[in-house]
Amino acid sequence: MESVGNEKKIQALFRELKLADERVAPEFIKMWDRAQAISPGWISPGSSRVFNLSFAVATALLVITVSVLVLWSRHGQPSEQVNPKVANESTPPGSTQASTPAPHQVTHATPPPTRPVQIVVAQSPVRLKSNQRAWKLAARRKADLEAKNAVIREAVSMSSWQSPTAILMQSPADHVLTSLPQLDRSLNELKIFLPSTSQ
Amino acid sequence: MKDKQTDISVLQAELEKLHVASFGWALSCCRRDRAEAEEVLQTVYLKILEGKARYRGESRLKTWLFAVIRKTAITEQRKRLLRSLKSIAGLNPTPERNSFAAEPAAAFERSEARKQFQIALERLSARQREVLHLVFYEDLSLREAANVMGVSIGSARQHYERGKKHLRESLNREELDYGISWKRKENPGAVS
Repeated sequence: MESVGNEKKIQALFRELKLADERVAPEFIKMWDRAQAISPGWISPGSSRVFNLSFAVATALLVITVSVLVLWSRHGQPSEQVNPKVANESTPPGSTQASTPAPHQVTHATPPPTRPVQIVVAQSPVRLKSNQRAWKLAARRKADLEAKNAVIREAVSMSSWQSPTAILMQSPADHVLTSLPQLDRSLNELKIFLPSTSQ
Repeated sequence: MKDKQTDISVLQAELEKLHVASFGWALSCCRRDRAEAEEVLQTVYLKILEGKARYRGESRLKTWLFAVIRKTAITEQRKRLLRSLKSIAGLNPTPERNSFAAEPAAAFERSEARKQFQIALERLSARQREVLHLVFYEDLSLREAANVMGVSIGSARQHYERGKKHLRESLNREELDYGISWKRKENPGAVS
């Protein structure tokens, strides 16, 4: 009985305390607004639309950029591969190129090769530059090959050189002069190598 | 996004209903320091808005909120203790707030009984004070109080019983002292 009375007393005291606290409690809305102002991740309902819009714009821009890059890379690669081929086809194997002419073939009147630049005229400046670089590289390789071939041809021609007066040294008995008598041959056959004794 | 906004507004409405009780609980957790309690409650709302404290519906919202308040109050007290230790180390002591003397809650202190009650509450251990507050002030069941405090129901019951006993004794002593002092004032010769 006494404990029940004490409990009621405690309850009453707590109720009184509660009433006193209610009087001094701060306003909820003020605290909530302050928390919203402090919170960096909080997005108010009004600003959510702006955020969504900006997010959508940023996403769209990103998608466009990525797709343009993909398209550019797909179209850019074949043109770079084709250009050296075009350059090779346009210049015949024996002809020289204006960029690196071989000294002994300068007199060849070959027309300048049709450059593949015409194909990539409508391309972007960056791609044009890369195409030109590839074409120059291919042309330089071809010129090097041509120079090597020229050296070989020169060596061959030097080895087969003949004097213009060599024809005067020719005679009907050249075979006698250029050949030697062989052993085990008859005397009659060898007579031709002996000086004539009839005189 | 829209759902999140709706959830937040629903939660805001619920928190508004519990605001006064939350403040009372924060006061109890902060040893009746009003400024500290406000700071704690502000931090709790911030935690909820930032998603650091998320209600998953595992218990009643009130129980969950009170557990968050209690945890935040403990964290804040630790921080304050560290700050005071640092200020002591730097020989720059901060003026200590007296939760009773500096508090402008004069309305409460007008009543001598309330004052005695607060003193008696202060004498209790933190667990006893918490469980009594949750049961008598917030009208929570012992199970809910145990959930808020993060202890077993048996432990909560023990704290509750001991708390009640100590509070009763303390109040009786206070009343007796008050009675003696009152008698002394009225009739100094009556008490030798």
